Amino acid sequence: MSSSSSSALQQQVTLLELVDRVLNKGVVLTGDITLSVADVDLVYVGLRLLLTSVSTLEQPHGDEK
Amino acid sequence: MNEQSAPPRRAGATGTYVYGVVPSDTTPTVFANVHGVDPKEPVGLVPRGEVAAVGSGVRLDEFGTEALEANLRDPAWLEDKVRAHDSVLAAVLGHATVVPFRFGAIYDSEDHVRAMLAERRDLAEALARLAGAVELGVGAYLDSEQLHARLAAERGIGEGEESGRAYMERRRLERELDDAVAGFAAECSRTAHDRLAAEASDARSNPVRASDDARRLMVLNGAYLVRDEGAFRAAASELASKLAADGVSVEITGPWPPYNFAAEAVE
Repeated sequence: MSSSSSSALQQQVTLLELVDRVLNKGVVLTGDITLSVADVDLVYVGLRLLLTSVSTLEQPHGDEK
Repeated sequence: MNEQSAPPRRAGATGTYVYGVVPSDTTPTVFANVHGVDPKEPVGLVPRGEVAAVGSGVRLDEFGTEALEANLRDPAWLEDKVRAHDSVLAAVLGHATVVPFRFGAIYDSEDHVRAMLAERRDLAEALARLAGAVELGVGAYLDSEQLHARLAAERGIGEGEESGRAYMERRRLERELDDAVAGFAAECSRTAHDRLAAEASDARSNPVRASDDARRLMVLNGAYLVRDEGAFRAAASELASKLAADGVSVEITGPWPPYNFAAEAVE
């Protein structure tokens, strides 16, 4: 694995960890426009799209012989 | 005309986005070089008593209910805002304790933010509980192909001759090997988490992320509330060198604001 692909992988891992923390953890208190349950589903729509758009970088490198 | 529906928001209406809570004596200059979820709006404190919300202005034509609904489907928008949310909280690390809020807490006015702070006495307790600690993430990844091959070699399952009976026997042994790999992964996850938790004030073993790469199977997705980062990292790298021989790599992320430990602190 080249160092550039391994650092790209590292960045992807960090982004996955970041997204998981900011969207799934932390205190939930009700604001005037706190994301409602329906909106949380929307977050997951966005999240899946986001993860799909970055997951290509997590594919194995150098598989081809 | 539906009389029941809320009046449309005026163009240019604003709200306050709240990132989390800090002690009210936190110096606001920690936010001098950080962009909020609206890069044009400064990030500052909304204090009330001994706690203060970390907040910034947002336009309701971007963060209002309908606008949010559309924007949350846009991965580029979401990534940008998630990064901004984290960078604001990360700016506090090393300067003050922070109780992170989940993405998307938006208040109509700073008065409403102060009302929330007045109501939630438990926020001060959460700050006390998290004082002086950061969160570190530890992922352990198993090269299951390598382990599989090694176990096969140890059991003398070779590539060579293949009679009909040998084939059936081999299939049986392959299934045994798969079980052995799964058993190893579970055991590795447990012992690694226990070892790391011993160096932490609190610990979470989160569900592992799925992977279709057999050479990078996640076996541990841990989060640790850490007060002595040096000691924790030393323990983690000792663990990493012990596990390397088994084809397991250990990766640390952070320090993070204590996202994984904030919700339990506020019930």
